[in-house]
Amino acid sequence: MSIDINCIAVIGKQNNPLYIKNYSSSHPDLKYHYIAHTAIDVIEERVLNNPKLTDAYLGLLYAMEDLAVYGFMTNTRVKIILVIAVTDNVVKDADIKAIFTKVHSAYVSHVCNPFHNLDQDFVASKRFSNAVDHIGQQNSRATIDV
Amino acid sequence: MSSSTAAKQYKALGEDVWKNKVEKINAELFTLTYGSLVVQLIKDYEDYAEVNKQLDKMGYNIGQRLIEDFLARSNIGRCTEFRETADVISKVGFKMFLNITPNITNWTPDFKEFSLLLEENPLAEFVELPDDAVEGGLWYSNILCGVLRGALEMVQMQVEATFITDTVRGDETTELRVKLIRFLEEEVPVGED
Repeated sequence: MSIDINCIAVIGKQNNPLYIKNYSSSHPDLKYHYIAHTAIDVIEERVLNNPKLTDAYLGLLYAMEDLAVYGFMTNTRVKIILVIAVTDNVVKDADIKAIFTKVHSAYVSHVCNPFHNLDQDFVASKRFSNAVDHIGQQNSRATIDV
Repeated sequence: MSSSTAAKQYKALGEDVWKNKVEKINAELFTLTYGSLVVQLIKDYEDYAEVNKQLDKMGYNIGQRLIEDFLARSNIGRCTEFRETADVISKVGFKMFLNITPNITNWTPDFKEFSLLLEENPLAEFVELPDDAVEGGLWYSNILCGVLRGALEMVQMQVEATFITDTVRGDETTELRVKLIRFLEEEVPVGED
């Protein structure tokens, strides 16, 4: 598995950013904020056009110069955005789904914290950050190839 | 050694009671219920020391009733000394109600105080205390202290139970210290000549 994760973002149901973390050094954080916003638009478009969409995994939302953006939306309208660097290797859907499931579990564990205020804007829990960092860095460290 | 066979006996008894004689509920439901209870107390009292006291009081009421349930299901006889009590609490009591067996450590030389080390705490699953709760001195699982106090008082032992450390606050372990104050009976207490 040699997916190079550049950014993981969690967006709330009112399209408010809950958590955005940049794992690559090639682009500034702000760029990923823009990417996340664009991704939200694409998701909304897809959801409007396909009301029968039942799968949480939304697949490739769009691709830019060297980045591919994948989306995942839960039934509670919490969206997870994954930005990866485009490599020559074929990226398997199953791998991306696995990453989304891990991030989703971390999010669920965080929400179960009774001290978490659901209206809060930023997911500021250390445990959630650590869990997501682990996912993000585990994947980017896996690219030891040329 | 008689103490280790007794220990094994209690362990087996605890497992047996847990498997066959208790009804179970979903762990997440329990954790979320307790969590919302603590958060509501904090909102109502706004003082962490007061919340600790209230949790202890609630635990005390629970413990007084829980001990009857415990004795009925486990059919255990009287403990001959405090060490046995500790064993029973850990291997049968905690096992039966929370499905955990905390380790008993740090006995004082006169065997009147011991520590329970909880490796996992189902009450505090997923919980992360905010900084001001840690600074305010909140003991998240303080209800357990009350439960122990209430239950042991009904079997003629006055104890003091307090938390020393708690992983929810960021400590390494969760340690509950139980101290025997006195036996509540007129005659010479068991264990003293």
